[in-house]
Amino acid sequence: MTYPHFNRRLHLYLALTLLPWFLMYAASSLAFSHDQYFQARDQAKGAPLWTTRFERSYSIDVPQSGDLRAIGARIMRDNGLAGSFGTYRQSPNQLNVYIYTFLHSTQAKYFITERKLVVEDRRFRFDHFLTGMHGRGGFEQEGILEKTWGVLVDLVWLGMILWIATGLYMWWHLPRVRAWGWLALAGGFASFTLFLWRL
Amino acid sequence: MFSKVLRRIHMYLALFLTPWVLMYTASTFVMNHREWFRELYGGSTPSPVVEREMRYEASFPESASTKQMARQILASLDLDGAFNVSQRARDGAIVIQRLDPITPRRVTYDAAQAKLTIEKMPWESRAFLERMHRRRGYQQSYALDIAWASSVDFFIAAMTFWVLSGLWMWWELRATRAPGACFAVAGAVLFAFFVVAI
Repeated sequence: MTYPHFNRRLHLYLALTLLPWFLMYAASSLAFSHDQYFQARDQAKGAPLWTTRFERSYSIDVPQSGDLRAIGARIMRDNGLAGSFGTYRQSPNQLNVYIYTFLHSTQAKYFITERKLVVEDRRFRFDHFLTGMHGRGGFEQEGILEKTWGVLVDLVWLGMILWIATGLYMWWHLPRVRAWGWLALAGGFASFTLFLWRL
Repeated sequence: MFSKVLRRIHMYLALFLTPWVLMYTASTFVMNHREWFRELYGGSTPSPVVEREMRYEASFPESASTKQMARQILASLDLDGAFNVSQRARDGAIVIQRLDPITPRRVTYDAAQAKLTIEKMPWESRAFLERMHRRRGYQQSYALDIAWASSVDFFIAAMTFWVLSGLWMWWELRATRAPGACFAVAGAVLFAFFVVAI
């Protein structure tokens, strides 16, 4: 196998493997870019986004400051909740634990002075499903699968760099389209620079 | 002929959109390794620093909204462009976030004291990349912002086109059909597994 041949195959097989991620990022970008449209469409249905699963007395000490993640984990464990999560203080009297999987989102609201816990489920929305996948990444979550997804996100951006590199190589080896290619490349960089300069 | 045209569009689109792809990949790297970058930079993104403070007396039309006031203030400072504005609860000051991708600024106008403060964000590449990654949508009325939002939509359309034209080109190469199908199925199975599992 010659190098140009290898280069073409790498470009192709990489794309075929990462196709679902590529499609997901494209579709979800549309949901981000036109969020007002999707929001208005959903509001027209008149259905509540959150529904209460349960409300119960519950007690846990919440420190005034510091890392709240351990508190969030404890609230989840005590109440049979599972998934990736984030914990934040909604107000001086309220702590929220946001628990999310790709298909389902839940929030646990802990009211500190009332010592009460309210757990709500979010109605499935396809645009939220897409944007949730798009925004997911990083290595802050404890689970091995969550970290593996972070690795896959790295593979996707590395794949994109490889597409550029292998694509440029293929273009350079087509002498007849070099001039037009230069024009397209220069036009792209000029447009991008103009945006940076004037936005 | 159709195949050749498809190949050329696939390639020229990719060449034209190379800066967008580079920006989105670099920013994805930064956002996927936020903790690592926080350690590298020694903390979260820096706070804005005061660039200018001045006496400023503005007169606005009687029925002017906060948004109109903000636009007038920015224009008078030669800082016109995309912004968000809010009114501070404690003293009614107008706080304008000028959404410049290179140098975002915060402009605070305190009418009671006739004082205007301009603060700017110190340059930091990770923050710049994240700002660019997140910039989209048609909320701003400035022509260039609408053009940028359109460029994002164009990029999405190009991604879809790359997928479809790529599939067409793959199918034309008989020798790659079987191994290509294996890679495509492996990717789809892996993706589906994660959708269900996490």
